[in-house]
Amino acid sequence: MASRGYEAARSMEAGNLKGGGGGGLGKEVHHGHGRTAHNMSSSSLRKKSDLSLVSKVRCSPLRAFLANLQEIFLGTKLFVLFPAVPLAIAANYFHFGRAWLFALSLLGLTPLAERVSFLTEQIAFYTGPTVGGLLNATCGNATELIIALFALRQGKIEVVKCSLVGSVLSNLLLVLGSSLFLGGLANLHKEQLYDRKQADVNTGLLLLGALCHILLLMFRYAVNTGEQAVDAAPTLALSRACSIIMLLAYVAYLFFQLKTHRRLFESREEDDEDDDDVVSEDEPVIGFASALIWLVGMTVVIALLSEYVVGTIEAASDSWGISVSFISIILLPIVGNAAEHAGAIIFAFKNKLDITLGVSLGSATQISMFVVPLSVIVAWIMGIEMDLDLKLLETSSLIMAILVIAFTLQDGTSHYLKGLVPLLCYLAIGACFFVFDSPADQINDINAGVLTTTAAVTKAY
Amino acid sequence: MASTGYEAARRLGAGNNPKGGAGSRTAHGHGRTAHNMSSSSLRKKSDLSLVSKVRCGLLRAVLTNLQEIFLGTKLFILFPAIPLAIAANYLHFGRVWLFALSLLGLTPLAERVSFLTEQIAYYTGPTVGGLLNATCGNATELIIALFALHRGKIEVVKCSLVGSILSNLLLVLGSSLFLGGIANLHKEQSFDRKQADVNTGLLLLGALCHILLLAFEHAVSSGEHAADASPRLGLSRACSIVMLLAYVAYLFFQLKTHRQLFESEEEEDDDNDDAVAQDEAVIGLPTALAWLLGMTAVIAILSEYVVGTIEAASDSWGISVSFISIILLPIVGNAAEHAGAIIFAFKNKLDITLGVSLGSATQISMFVVPLSVIVAWIMGIKMDLDLELLETGSLIMAILITAFTLQDGTSHYLKGLVPLLCYLAIGACFFFVSKSPANQINDVNAGVLTTSTGVTVA
Repeated sequence: MASRGYEAARSMEAGNLKGGGGGGLGKEVHHGHGRTAHNMSSSSLRKKSDLSLVSKVRCSPLRAFLANLQEIFLGTKLFVLFPAVPLAIAANYFHFGRAWLFALSLLGLTPLAERVSFLTEQIAFYTGPTVGGLLNATCGNATELIIALFALRQGKIEVVKCSLVGSVLSNLLLVLGSSLFLGGLANLHKEQLYDRKQADVNTGLLLLGALCHILLLMFRYAVNTGEQAVDAAPTLALSRACSIIMLLAYVAYLFFQLKTHRRLFESREEDDEDDDDVVSEDEPVIGFASALIWLVGMTVVIALLSEYVVGTIEAASDSWGISVSFISIILLPIVGNAAEHAGAIIFAFKNKLDITLGVSLGSATQISMFVVPLSVIVAWIMGIEMDLDLKLLETSSLIMAILVIAFTLQDGTSHYLKGLVPLLCYLAIGACFFVFDSPADQINDINAGVLTTTAAVTKAY
Repeated sequence: MASTGYEAARRLGAGNNPKGGAGSRTAHGHGRTAHNMSSSSLRKKSDLSLVSKVRCGLLRAVLTNLQEIFLGTKLFILFPAIPLAIAANYLHFGRVWLFALSLLGLTPLAERVSFLTEQIAYYTGPTVGGLLNATCGNATELIIALFALHRGKIEVVKCSLVGSILSNLLLVLGSSLFLGGIANLHKEQSFDRKQADVNTGLLLLGALCHILLLAFEHAVSSGEHAADASPRLGLSRACSIVMLLAYVAYLFFQLKTHRQLFESEEEEDDDNDDAVAQDEAVIGLPTALAWLLGMTAVIAILSEYVVGTIEAASDSWGISVSFISIILLPIVGNAAEHAGAIIFAFKNKLDITLGVSLGSATQISMFVVPLSVIVAWIMGIKMDLDLELLETGSLIMAILITAFTLQDGTSHYLKGLVPLLCYLAIGACFFFVSKSPANQINDVNAGVLTTSTGVTVA
């Protein structure tokens, strides 16, 4: 779930606010609440809250509470998926099939992720643009981060690596490709432009991340030849050094985006914007305390569902007959990214490619330069030996994806074939992982078997 | 030490020059090339007042000459390292000291050599001068490579040349763009991408040759054929000829047909305080030639010390020979150019920065490397273009990152930070490759050579 940073001067809105009515609001707008790419993308999934029903309730605190609930739960078109959350929890306690638990948890994560981004946006109204931007940037990929941390804790390092690579691939090829493809078909005879500077910044950072993975891969080969034993310690040390470098780059990227080169990332407002589907708000709809409480609560539920997902991934793999790596690389990211994906496509339809690129590229950059090195550092603290060494297949898919996207986006224009190519690349990579039964699956099964056996033995005492 | 060729018509200089005597020369054209301007940023104006008090005419001429040569650069403080290094060799100081002092001594010498070739170019005209700059510009890397070849330390040759390319592409360019971007935070920073494209294309050709060698070796050995060295050597030599052809074409492109692409654009408000821009030579042609030969000889001596003591330094400091060859040697060797590139990035003259760093990388990749292979061929040494997987992978990634960074013709500090961090990652990687098999091969080679020498002497 990507976020852009929080921009300044939503000038068009400020201009439209007539006279005194916006006077009190004018100060806040002046401080600057520009519509970032992420905000606008999420807002495409919002519905205008119809408060007529609630306003008939007489008791005032109850009415406020109900309005709050309506805003939180019914404020998105994805609310149909919300029942999956209690169903998943029920499935856990009533011992439904583990594959059902896996599927329901995945479905439940989708609306929760979207609501978390909505809540961080609301909080950002109160905290100002910079802190809001940082909050968006950090919490934007909350789902991927939490899944990764739980998988680390359960020792499933391959799942972590695969799911993060899969997220990057999904954002770069699937989300971007499908958006450009559908947007190109919808705007067949219009000129489709975007600002390539933003794409260049993201591409550069993604290449730095890919370089670190490639160095790790080659390092392992270099150490392996000459018939030396595979010493894990230098690989780990190099991974940790590279993770620190990647985090440095991410901090510089945030500084660049939020402080010095803000205007590069501001979404350009056009005059004839149709405000029917897009709910753009100048003021928050829920209070600060309430937003914080909901945010904490939703994060807890996300953590719960993530734990189910990570715990049942092998069972689902056995039950459905597909490898764990395929589920981690392809399925998990697709479902996790669904909300953003929808938003990106909608904005491509409206020929607002800067926002589409902001969402997809920004998400990929965040995961590659923030979540991945953070996982390595957290694993370091937890004493788990996670390194940046993806396997050959994942690393080469990653570097090819970045190259394809870099070449696609390098001239600042788009058409549907530019979207079809990355999309077909993603299909090819998906097919590759579908038929690939990695040894890691067997290792994971052994790990899981060992863990359950150990747990059973420990319980017996 | 790169050069970008020698350009025509320094219009600004010709326009501002009231003297008629120099007019005919400037009409021939002595444009300020990127390399010349970069080096000149390290020059100091010669203060001739002290020398002019000396009465004897001949002595005064010699002293002026000496002052111009030795004190004409801000790097003159490093000059004492040269006699110290020579003393260290004869007085048998620790070999590590010899290594360090020789490295330090090479830095000002490289800068002076480029100064001397610039002076000679005033006399020989732009084309020959450009060729001279292009060839002598990377004299230090070339001489170090030849000495290492002579001693059979083929891995050191390969590593130091790859390290030079990586250093120019990522470290020099990255740090210049980064610092320049911070210094010019709110200005528009643009450069002409055509020059960058030409260099990138040639670098990719060089990288292709290395990748072909690597893949060739892999393809041959995986088919359970014995690792036969001769096809690999044959392919390396063929590729070297191809690379040299490309380099000749590049020189022709740069000096004859597309000169205007490489001319540094002069701006009206050029501040001539720090950059000593000269219209005429400050020393005579025979003097310059004599000094050039002398300095090249000293460079040769110091290079021999460096190549000879590299293993001792590696053992003493506890870091691998490949790390020293890939990271340390190029950083020290490139220091003068590096400083110049940063200074011009501060002044928002990115064309010059790019000319220095990219041009240097292209020269090493397309001239020094294939030349080493050809010279090894003549000397009967089996050097090929096959770098290890790690070096080749780093090289191709570095070229890609640089190509993508420079492809839109603008710059900001994040564009410099990314290559810089890439260089840090690559440096960390080579740091951790502490016990590579190459070390053991080099030690074995060194041991064999000294043993056979001992046997022959006996």
